[in-house]
Amino acid sequence: MISEKLVEFIHGPVFMALGTRDEKLRPTHTFIAGALVNSDRETITCFVLQSRAEKILGNLENNGRITMTVGHPSHESYQLKGRYVSSRPLEAKDVAIQEIYRTKLLSVFLQYGFPEQLAKPLVLGFRYQPAVGITFRVEEVFLQTPGPGAGEKIA
Amino acid sequence: MGVLPDEIKPAMEGVIPAHVGTCSLDGIPNVTILSQVYYVDADHVALSFQFFNKTIKNVRENPRAVAWIINPETFDSWDLELEYDHSETSGPVFEVMDMRLEAIASMTGMTGIFKLRAADIYRVKSAVKNTDERLPLAEIDT
Repeated sequence: MISEKLVEFIHGPVFMALGTRDEKLRPTHTFIAGALVNSDRETITCFVLQSRAEKILGNLENNGRITMTVGHPSHESYQLKGRYVSSRPLEAKDVAIQEIYRTKLLSVFLQYGFPEQLAKPLVLGFRYQPAVGITFRVEEVFLQTPGPGAGEKIA
Repeated sequence: MGVLPDEIKPAMEGVIPAHVGTCSLDGIPNVTILSQVYYVDADHVALSFQFFNKTIKNVRENPRAVAWIINPETFDSWDLELEYDHSETSGPVFEVMDMRLEAIASMTGMTGIFKLRAADIYRVKSAVKNTDERLPLAEIDT
């Protein structure tokens, strides 16, 4: 079960990345363009750009191993590890979540002192569409905030 | 001529944090956010070893890694395919990284927390500019 605190954290604004690996243990990475903790509080659906998804989904069909990192400009961050469940096209509701995510992310970058001429093109310049929803079941959560406790398993 | 073109250098100035992906020998992937990927030469980059975290552990048992970096001038993103080579705890690369890390720490309220233990040197196997994940700058309402 993903804690209420972590649900709030993931729903952002945070920057997010997803990792998988192939059969030769070569890692693959992509940024995540919005994510949703599902109502079961055990699975998360990450919205990933279609052009990035092909390799990711190939890896997930092969071995199912997936990891997601979520970080706030304050440096608070977590790593969630788990197993692939399914993928699906985005619905209108998902696209709305992406739009909210993008607006909130820009707001927090500005709040943390990123210059507007850097934050705006950085956040608003990412393509979010076409995208795929990749759902995985969270099995472990690790603290990743820089410091002595980094790497500690918290769930 | 090396793998890294000159146009990639601004993406390694520590302005926009990077993502680094690795995988353990038992097949568990890991992704972390890093304050900077350092340009060493046209075939090598360095990542900071500050804490004995999963990235550090993974590359010592499986040297393959990937990094995603963003140029703060053009906002182009790049994928780097890396292979861990060795660590340096002194010398010019370590000294420069240590100084830059201190600068980043002081600007982000992390003084005393960010501390360089080693400069991990990686060989760059490929560097690919992503042409499909960014909108043209002219299309962004800034």
